[in-house]
Amino acid sequence: MTNIALLKLQLLYYGIRADRDLPSPLTNPFGLVHLVLPEGLAVSVHLNENGTDSPFLLRREGTAFFLDVAGKESIPVQWTPPLHSYQQKTSSRVSVSEILTVHGDFIAVHPSHACRFGQSGLSCRYCGSSQDISLHPPFTPRDLVEAIQIVEQEKRCDVVCLSSGHVETADGGIERLEKWVSEIRKHLNVLIALDLVPPETNDWIDRTYAMGVDALYYDSDFFNPNDESGGEPRAIFQKHKARQLEALEYAARIFPTGAVLSHLVIGFEPLAETRASIDLLIDRGVVPVLAYFPPYDGSDLRSRWTATPEAAQEIYAHLYERLVRTRINPHWVQQYDVVLTCLEGRFLSNESPRYHLKLKNFYETRFGRALRFGMARLRRHLRVREVPA
Amino acid sequence: MQVKIDTRPLLIVILSRWWRFPVFLLLGYAIHYGYGQKPPEGLSLEGYRALLVFLTCLILWVTRLLPLAVTGLFAMVAPPLLGVMPAKEAFAFFGSEPVFFIMGVFILATALLKSGLSTRLALHLLKSGSKSPKRLVLHIMLASALLSFVMSEHAVAAMMFPLIVIISKRLNLSPQGSSYGRILFLAMAWGCVIGGIATMLGGARVALAVGLLQEAKGGTITFAQWTVAMLPLVLVLFVFCYFLLTRFFSIDIETVEEADSAIQSQIRDLGRPVMEEQFLGLLMIAAIFSWVFFGMQFGMASISILAVVLLFMFRVVEWKDLQEKMEWGVILMYGGAIAISSILNSTGAGLWFTKQFVLPHLNSTWMLMLALSLLSILLAEAMSPSAVVAIVVPIGMSVAKQFGLDPKVVVYAVASASGLAYALPMSTPPVALAYSSGYLRMKEVILPASLMALVSWLTLLLTARFWWPVLGIHVGG
Repeated sequence: MTNIALLKLQLLYYGIRADRDLPSPLTNPFGLVHLVLPEGLAVSVHLNENGTDSPFLLRREGTAFFLDVAGKESIPVQWTPPLHSYQQKTSSRVSVSEILTVHGDFIAVHPSHACRFGQSGLSCRYCGSSQDISLHPPFTPRDLVEAIQIVEQEKRCDVVCLSSGHVETADGGIERLEKWVSEIRKHLNVLIALDLVPPETNDWIDRTYAMGVDALYYDSDFFNPNDESGGEPRAIFQKHKARQLEALEYAARIFPTGAVLSHLVIGFEPLAETRASIDLLIDRGVVPVLAYFPPYDGSDLRSRWTATPEAAQEIYAHLYERLVRTRINPHWVQQYDVVLTCLEGRFLSNESPRYHLKLKNFYETRFGRALRFGMARLRRHLRVREVPA
Repeated sequence: MQVKIDTRPLLIVILSRWWRFPVFLLLGYAIHYGYGQKPPEGLSLEGYRALLVFLTCLILWVTRLLPLAVTGLFAMVAPPLLGVMPAKEAFAFFGSEPVFFIMGVFILATALLKSGLSTRLALHLLKSGSKSPKRLVLHIMLASALLSFVMSEHAVAAMMFPLIVIISKRLNLSPQGSSYGRILFLAMAWGCVIGGIATMLGGARVALAVGLLQEAKGGTITFAQWTVAMLPLVLVLFVFCYFLLTRFFSIDIETVEEADSAIQSQIRDLGRPVMEEQFLGLLMIAAIFSWVFFGMQFGMASISILAVVLLFMFRVVEWKDLQEKMEWGVILMYGGAIAISSILNSTGAGLWFTKQFVLPHLNSTWMLMLALSLLSILLAEAMSPSAVVAIVVPIGMSVAKQFGLDPKVVVYAVASASGLAYALPMSTPPVALAYSSGYLRMKEVILPASLMALVSWLTLLLTARFWWPVLGIHVGG
């Protein structure tokens, strides 16, 4: 039988074809089909519009769904209907789908409409859109709260992740997001993650935690394709990298263990570089999130992509093995349907997940969730202090 | 304010933040347990419970588990809750005269600060001090002490502190190594401490002690009586302090001319005295004159509150200034302290306690004088002077009653000694402020401060032996 983790990577890489006899609408507003693979692995997969290239065919038999793999194997899967919430609107008439994207129990929001990935011309599976995101109507923190409340009526949400987008201010985008965080804190009982640019000084990191943020992403871009060119660009890159690592390391001391994360985009750099970056981050107490976002088939960038699912699985196994040997909690990335999470890498390795898997499963229970939220609040209450400037 | 994240291990953070809760639980259990016990022989049930309240407040004041003012409030509500006395009687202690005297004095001090008159006086006292380093020290001490005659010493320290910072910066005194910087800040702090015992206005503890005396039907002490009784002590300590500071620490600076330009520039910035300042100056002179000559006739509180009314009539201060700058908590604390003292007295608990635990160790009134003054000086290093007065005076008066000693002696001894704290930052606000400058290290201060404390104690005893009898205050044989 196909390895489940490898299957998830393959689905993210190839997409699926849809049989004729499938419910409508099959996809969410961003063209992704939500499936739950055996062992509970959630995946949001794109429909391969080119028709024949994907080896995976989604079909229905009565109420059951199956993935046919190249006509040889049939794997039972669960299809999750797209959320009705996406179609609803806030009191100021903004569609929920224009405000947020739901990935399992994780909600992604770009208040600034400036997704770096989307703006680069690639389709962003994370925020569910591409360059079009900049065309979305502006929305307020109040709209966001309403949108989350609408989604919460339909499904459980644990984490709301706000992205600052690309900013070049000393604060790394924290100030801009402060009012959003405070509005969410005021009305909702969820954990808040921020996806930011590392600030110039560490006191901004203290402030980020104190304002009510539970987890932090500073995305890493450690591989410099022009590294051998030398000169000023290289020096700037090295300085940027050093500051990024310093900020990550400091944040890992401030935030709960495992709550400082960094996306590493796999596939645009040699896999050895990605592996080295994983080690670099874990050594500093940071959880690498390996974003497996292959450019869709037919795009110009597809040819530059080096990480086929088969090649990438070794990297995911390495990430899993490195992480479970530490005391860093990997459960901040759970039920995440657009990447293969650290713990999902266990299907690619023989190493035992130790207590990490049990802890993750516990946190998904009602009591575990309440405990997790309560502990996050208590920790902040205890650790944050105001001192004279 | 700035946000900082405490990254110590969580267990340590929890212990450092929440250690109070188990202590409160323990204290609550102890009160509950004590409440259920029979009183010891010779002590009434009310007296026993009054002692329970006193011990609880003692723990709370010493440990500062609660702010002093909140413990004061607790002291007012605990007696009715434990059935010692009706609530009406307990709350009535808040209306005692010293509480209103202190309130008036604090409002006047706030007006002095707000109007800039106190700063102007301080700057003029400092002006001619910049001729030599030693002279500057003398003038800083003089300004701090003289202003503490008419304002509470913490208000004087708060006003003097920025001036000393400006002078130190102008003289390029480094917080790390400058011995002269150390002298300047100690001159400010110890000047305030010494000046603070000279009159009833320097520290609220004197008024509190007099209030306790009045509640215990032991008579009263007037403004003039107090000031005259303290005169030799203040003079001797002032002179000794000056010599100690200028001899013990090296003066590592040759000229202080730069300080002169800093002081002149501050005086220039103040401009001409405005009408409010002139009025306030006259009002203060009139108030002090009235306290000295009419204090007995009209009551100290009446004069201070009348002065406050005049302040508002002439719009020298606004109510919002008082809301922001007044130490309202101290007034609450006094109400509680007076309540405790009175219930110890009226229930006979104080008497029983002293008979059981104090009298067996004392065989003369001089022993009592020695013990009370030393205990007060030592306690004042770790506690607020008012808390020391609230704890020691009621017990001291009970002992005095047994020896047939005038309870006023206890008030003179404890109220003055409790103001003489020099070493630790938690003792008095002037010392705490001096430490906050960054110029002082405890290991460098502890020896001269101990010398000051020793000389203060000895001088107080000598004053009591030779000066007080001249005024008709006899400690006895």
